[in-house]
Amino acid sequence: MAQIRENIAESELVSDVVNTPIRKQVTDLDHAGGDTGAMQVFASLRDANVVLDGPVGCHVMPAVAVINYTDSVPYLQNVTCSELSENEVTLAGTLGALKEKVAHAEADGRQVFIVSTPVSELIGATWTTEHADVKGSALFFDSHSLDDDEWKSRDRALLFLWQNREHFVVPADAPRRTSTRPSVNIVGPTYGNFNSYSDLAEIKRLVAGIGADVNLVYPFEAHSYDTVRLADAGATVVMYAEYGKSLAREVGLPTFDAPIGLEPTTAFLRGLGAALGLEKEADAFIRLEKKTTLAAWQDIWRSTHSDFFANAPIAIVAPPTYKDGLTYYLGEEMGLPIAYSAYRTGPESAPSEDVRKALQELSPSPMIVFGSINERMIIAQEKLPSLFLQCSFPGAVVRRATGTPFVGYAGAVWLLQCVCEALFDVLFANLPTSAAPPEKAKVPTRDLMRDGTAAATASGKGTNSVIAWTDEAKELAELTLKRVPFFVRVSVNKKLRSEAEKVARERDGTVDVTIVREVTARYAPNKR
Amino acid sequence: MCPAFGAVRNLLRMEDAMPIVISSGDGCLYGHTFVAHFYVANRPIYSPGVSSEIWAKGSAFDELRSMVVKMAEEHQPAIIPICSLCVSDTVGLPFDLLPKQIGNTEIVYVPLPAYSVHTHARAKDIVVDSLVWRLPPQRKTRAGVNLIGEIFPSDPIKIDEVLRRMGSHVNTHVPGPRWADYVAMVDGAVNAPVHPFYSESVKRMKMKQGLPFVEGAPVGIEGTYKWLCSIGEALGLDRGVVERVAAQERDRVRLAIADYPLNGLTFIVAGYEGHEFLLVRLLIEAGASVPYLSTAVNANPLAREEEKWLAEHGCTVLYGANFEDEIKALTDRPYDCVIGTTPLCAHAKELGIPSIYYTNAIATRSLMLADGATEVLGLVTQTVRSKTRYDRIARFFAEDETKLERSYTSWAPKIDITAQLIANRAL
Repeated sequence: MAQIRENIAESELVSDVVNTPIRKQVTDLDHAGGDTGAMQVFASLRDANVVLDGPVGCHVMPAVAVINYTDSVPYLQNVTCSELSENEVTLAGTLGALKEKVAHAEADGRQVFIVSTPVSELIGATWTTEHADVKGSALFFDSHSLDDDEWKSRDRALLFLWQNREHFVVPADAPRRTSTRPSVNIVGPTYGNFNSYSDLAEIKRLVAGIGADVNLVYPFEAHSYDTVRLADAGATVVMYAEYGKSLAREVGLPTFDAPIGLEPTTAFLRGLGAALGLEKEADAFIRLEKKTTLAAWQDIWRSTHSDFFANAPIAIVAPPTYKDGLTYYLGEEMGLPIAYSAYRTGPESAPSEDVRKALQELSPSPMIVFGSINERMIIAQEKLPSLFLQCSFPGAVVRRATGTPFVGYAGAVWLLQCVCEALFDVLFANLPTSAAPPEKAKVPTRDLMRDGTAAATASGKGTNSVIAWTDEAKELAELTLKRVPFFVRVSVNKKLRSEAEKVARERDGTVDVTIVREVTARYAPNKR
Repeated sequence: MCPAFGAVRNLLRMEDAMPIVISSGDGCLYGHTFVAHFYVANRPIYSPGVSSEIWAKGSAFDELRSMVVKMAEEHQPAIIPICSLCVSDTVGLPFDLLPKQIGNTEIVYVPLPAYSVHTHARAKDIVVDSLVWRLPPQRKTRAGVNLIGEIFPSDPIKIDEVLRRMGSHVNTHVPGPRWADYVAMVDGAVNAPVHPFYSESVKRMKMKQGLPFVEGAPVGIEGTYKWLCSIGEALGLDRGVVERVAAQERDRVRLAIADYPLNGLTFIVAGYEGHEFLLVRLLIEAGASVPYLSTAVNANPLAREEEKWLAEHGCTVLYGANFEDEIKALTDRPYDCVIGTTPLCAHAKELGIPSIYYTNAIATRSLMLADGATEVLGLVTQTVRSKTRYDRIARFFAEDETKLERSYTSWAPKIDITAQLIANRAL
């Protein structure tokens, strides 16, 4: 919920909150290390060059391989690497290799950030030159890559930038803001943040909607020398709870979290309006939104689409912003039962094995699982009937079109649409399907008839009467059906019944456990 | 929804049928295809092409006949039902001239002019009627119960299990997924229409089959007991056994209902599935007040007994009701829950009343016996509890009503390209 954050409590600071606990065994990790997080912050600045002080893998993995699937950027052009080899690691240290790369980047007039990596930290490498105090010289950031996760590192890197704001050289021709309208800082996103392009577009739309300007989108649309200008705004919006609050606290302006859901968005707009002296404008905008952006929301809500919500349990596995945001919006406001939810980052982060166990045991299985590729794999491996919707990394995805926000009113509409379409998908997958030729008629109608007495004696085994089910078969069928999302249960039930009775008819017997097992195996829901 | 869809829906669900839909034009066919593929089955829908030229030339029938023959010979389905919608039925194609059988395939004409069918319910009635009329005469030796009317797929199995304890069984259930399910009716000893839906079919079944009929369904406390006893009586089963089983089942329903007290809550129910009568009975037995039941079914003898029971329990039945009647009923008093048609629910949601669409909510659940009571009342209780959510959303959209013109694009960000290019130093 949006609140004015003039004083962000110590305990809320991401540096304290987000710190993945040390585990003995890790399966399918869901977050990167501190060097990646720091790189993603610094590389976001338009005039920056990041030099990763590490072997080539520390560069190619995050800045070429992964970034291509998180941000659809082929590779980060402003990230280089000291390319440590055996000689540097065992004998020479990294300074020599670094100097070369730093000099190369500085020749292009870029602000250089040197980021430590696990190897450089292990051998105690650092950056010491006589130019350390010269403005615009390369800055060294100790990313705590062995201990901090990417989120905590992002938060620390943002704070580091603010602390060094006087270090950056402002070019003479840097444009100055001339508007006198109230303005807002947007802190976050950085590279490697799921869905951030759309979320950012929506926050910009909301800020513009109440008549305010965006002072800075930091660091994503800023230069290093803009850092000092963060102080010029009237308020700060922190896009994601995972990082940026330490910076926002130091900047000292009223601070708001990006909202997920209808009421949070309304509160956000009113709060931001009040902080900027734009109360009336905020109210007018909210009124307008109800008739425009949210007209879609109201129409869908009034439609029969929403009838399924109460019986469409979902699971959410994501970092805190999305996990908490979706839980509130989908659970509280839309009324979808949250069958399971877990953080995938921070001290309360659930290990992959716990998530697997939980998803496996849920009955019925959640109709939609919001998660990363880890959850997607669990669904496939455990043959769950759940539909997967991505809401976090890891997992290759393209989210560059800006029409898929989770935050704001537009986000509320988009998520509502996603859920409805998922419902349609599940429905489609469970409707009876038959190709063009239906079952062939083997005999003419008169041969289908049986004598009543014969039907009675062969009760339950008739070729054309209702076929009897053994108690165990009924029980097993019911157990199986309980795992199926409620609103397609009727379709699945029909399918199961018709297939099982067909087999029983062929064998001239009742439906028993063996037949039910056979049929359910044939129609394992993950087959779709 | 076009009333004729009720028929198309049932026929498309038949695994060994290949229905042909003679549409009234592409608008009509598109609509039927669209909803069929969404609601019924991922199956092809066959239709002869129609146009003013085809109707004028009078070639439509010849084309239909060659299509039927080709389909029967090529695919050999058990049955090809021919759904004749408004235009073809108005034109009056000589359907009698179609062959009755081609090989093992039955060819059955199903007249569905929507302008005289009126309701979904009636269309389903016509299908059952058309198919039953084609059946061979009833057997002399008979046993078991023919269940007539849509019920949840597991219901016939559960009813069968109870009847077996009484010394009988379910013979067949229609509308069923196979032609054989209909043919099996000739072996049954009792017809049990569980909805007041199939009035015309029942009328003709009485003419043709000469079987005893048992009305009502094993729903609710009284309903379950009464239905089982009536079945026992119609089949001449051992009275002591029937009485014991019926009492057992009644007590199980009573226990199930006790878990979901609805005392003090007011409902309005509007349905066109036929079992809306049974649902209301269940709600009333759980303690709810249901002042109105709106049903697409027209007043008919099959509904008389249910209606009497409902009237005794304070419920007025609005037959063949339209949206205006329902809205009027809705404003009559404060309601806690609406189980109704799409427009009625949309309207109720605007007023902040928890609402569920009848078909989506009730047709997807068992309604019969104790398990049915648990499923349906569980859903209803859950819906009523979400009052705050419905209320909050209704308030949010109702406050500051200023009659602003709605538009679906005005939210799109207005981007000043020139300003952006200048800002990016590209101009």
